[in-house]
Amino acid sequence: MAEPIVEMRHITKRFPGIVANDDVSLSVNRGEIFAVLGENGAGKSTLVSMLFGMYEPDEGEIYVRGKLEHINSPRYATQLSIGMVHQEFRLVSNYTVTENIILGLEPEKKLFGLFPYVDIKKANHDIAELSERYKLKINPEDVIENLNVASRQRVEILKMLYREAEILIFDEPTAVLTPQEIESFLQIIEGLRGSGKTIILITHKLNEIKAVADRCAILNRGKLIDILDVPSTSTDEMARLMVGHEVSFTTPKTPAKFGDTVLKAENMSVKNPSGYEAVKSVSFSIHSGEVFAVAGVSGNGQNELADAIAGLVSCSGGRITLNGRDITNASVRDRIEAGAAYIPEDRHNVGLVLDFTLRDNFPLRRYYSDKFSRKGVLNDAAFNEYGRHLQENYDIRSGQGMATITRSMSGGNQQKAIIAREIDMKTPLIIFMQPTRGLDIGAVMNVRKQIIAERDRGAAVLLISLDLDEIMDCADTIAVIYNGSISKIAPAGELTVDDIGLYMMGVGKTA
Amino acid sequence: MFCGAQQKGEEVIMLDMIIIDGLSFALPLFIMAVGGIYSEKSGITNLALEGFQGFGAFTGAVVVVWLTGITGSTSQIPYYAGFFFAMIGGGIFALIHALLCIKFKADQVISGVVMNILAMAMTSFMTKSINSAFFGNSANKFMLGASSRITIPYISEIPYIGAVFRDIYPFEIIAVIVAVVMWYVLYRTVYGMRLRACGDNPHSADAAGINVNAVRTVAVFISGCLSGIAGMSFAYSISANFSPDIYLGYGYLSIAALIFGNWNILPALGACLIFGFARSGGSAIINELGLPSSYNDLVRILPYLLTLLLLVFFSKHNRSPRALGQVYDKGRR
Repeated sequence: MAEPIVEMRHITKRFPGIVANDDVSLSVNRGEIFAVLGENGAGKSTLVSMLFGMYEPDEGEIYVRGKLEHINSPRYATQLSIGMVHQEFRLVSNYTVTENIILGLEPEKKLFGLFPYVDIKKANHDIAELSERYKLKINPEDVIENLNVASRQRVEILKMLYREAEILIFDEPTAVLTPQEIESFLQIIEGLRGSGKTIILITHKLNEIKAVADRCAILNRGKLIDILDVPSTSTDEMARLMVGHEVSFTTPKTPAKFGDTVLKAENMSVKNPSGYEAVKSVSFSIHSGEVFAVAGVSGNGQNELADAIAGLVSCSGGRITLNGRDITNASVRDRIEAGAAYIPEDRHNVGLVLDFTLRDNFPLRRYYSDKFSRKGVLNDAAFNEYGRHLQENYDIRSGQGMATITRSMSGGNQQKAIIAREIDMKTPLIIFMQPTRGLDIGAVMNVRKQIIAERDRGAAVLLISLDLDEIMDCADTIAVIYNGSISKIAPAGELTVDDIGLYMMGVGKTA
Repeated sequence: MFCGAQQKGEEVIMLDMIIIDGLSFALPLFIMAVGGIYSEKSGITNLALEGFQGFGAFTGAVVVVWLTGITGSTSQIPYYAGFFFAMIGGGIFALIHALLCIKFKADQVISGVVMNILAMAMTSFMTKSINSAFFGNSANKFMLGASSRITIPYISEIPYIGAVFRDIYPFEIIAVIVAVVMWYVLYRTVYGMRLRACGDNPHSADAAGINVNAVRTVAVFISGCLSGIAGMSFAYSISANFSPDIYLGYGYLSIAALIFGNWNILPALGACLIFGFARSGGSAIINELGLPSSYNDLVRILPYLLTLLLLVFFSKHNRSPRALGQVYDKGRR
């Protein structure tokens, strides 16, 4: 069993301003599930990207099946039977499942024995067979853009299998999946191991590793900390090694002291762009010093609710008041001035201007104020000073300091930057939309601590999350949203996870 | 309405004219739009069709003038050789656009506009230079003579639609054949499948082992070739010469057609036919009303007016290829 199929020896990879991998050596055995664990920015993705030929190591050697290889392109990696599913899927959205899978390896036939064409019929048949063989349910003729994330992931897996890959690399495969989908994903990769494939799994989710992995390498800031035998190691131990110090999985929290009502929504309705009423006549209020958490399955109106309060979309009915002031029709800027901060779900498109530097992203909400500009001319010195202030106080790590283009930063640090910008305004209302999505444990705990700290400062916090642990951890009041309506509002202590789960699916007792 | 081909009433003749002239304008426009579809479906914005067709027509015209001097004016060889070299000339000129957009990652809109200006300036300069060097005059045009026309026996006698097969320019047949081949290549072959993938998600194409840049370069080359055929057709049908008048905006019109056609070949044909018949129909009405020929200039704007109108209705629903105009950079997230 312990026959190494991949060996990486003394791998070092540097990027401008950062050493992504520092003398990392590891070997992966044929037929095992090998996990690579580490926080965001620990160098996991970089390490396996070199195995897939997306980067070449600056130092060190890679052996595949005992042979020294210079993997300089994904194409070559594919020839070595190495396949990879990236975090962002590489699929052609207007192609069918089959077309995506065969792309690059199309079966051909000749019309009248003369004109070559792609034999889609045969391909569809082949893919149907392949999906049956590996128990990956998919209809070969579905178009990608009509499929959900879990199905798209299955297409990516089939793509590798069609190319007869033996070494399958998954980069954060479960970050975008629901709990049920994660369950079935883990079964899929166990099945793949059963049919003799070697699997390399990059993740920062400990329970997934515990559930399926055989061995696990832990990286921290580019260095290999240890390689562990998973069944004989506790998750606490793994977490400690990954973060570099003890971590606690619950956020310490003092009892809430509610103050005056800060945000009040009355019969608020919001329509989505296609005219469908995504939020239906919702009423609630949030007090100063309260974390008001909204739980629900993705796509039940959470985005519209948050965007409407932040002012990105307008309400189709009802009233929103902030500290007694009607902001239903106020502009985004008016809402900022009135005291609403917003940490949006979509970091890249809403939260940051990705091609701006970190320094220029910080004052985005306040650049027009006297502090940052005089008569329309920006004050460079104030920008610098503010950038330094935030970067130091909120521990935001980036390759070239404040001058780093935010696109090149890790997801965790991007999120830290947004949160720093928003909470540093010390507004009475802060909206957190999925604040820890895609972050590693250390960062997650950090964000949750910040949420509680803001509450203790006296802010009203609206926390919208798909993560029930997060809601149980932080909330003072829990609301459950289902199909655009709030089906239940109760103090946090009165609801169990199971109760909330039922309301989330619309089958709970009526309030 | 009159019936039967024997009693050709005035309306019938007028209808015939509309069909004949409409097709001879629509088909070159269409073949150019097909070229544009190739380029844009592969992800390269192509505003340079105008320049490609002009440059193609120039190379074709040079070849025709040169060959006619050798073979004499009755031979058909210069005509077909002209189209062949127009195709090659347009294609090679298009490679500059490919080089700028793909290799040097230039902004594709700017590159397209530059190509148009470059084509206009270069061809008029070179036309004058060649004329003064070889023919002792400094005219800014090459005389080509009008193209012959073909009438297909029997089917052209069918009432009304028979006109489709009457008095056709040979290049219309070329355009139809090329378009059929191009349709087959784009939607049925491996290359076509890869090309369309590059325009939607070049990262996935790359991950599938496809050389995105090579696919796109070939696509832009093809768009130049097809535009060259179109330019030569316009030179033969509209003006019977090559002169800077070739840059009348037909390239932009075909871009409009491919957009209305939602970047698909058959719907683009529909749009081109509408443009063609709007133009010939307008001319017919001017003739019918006995208006002075200066009104013909007014009629020429009909397709453009129609473009504006159609834009209002179609631009909302149409979806361009997802990666259109984006520089493909592997490392970018």
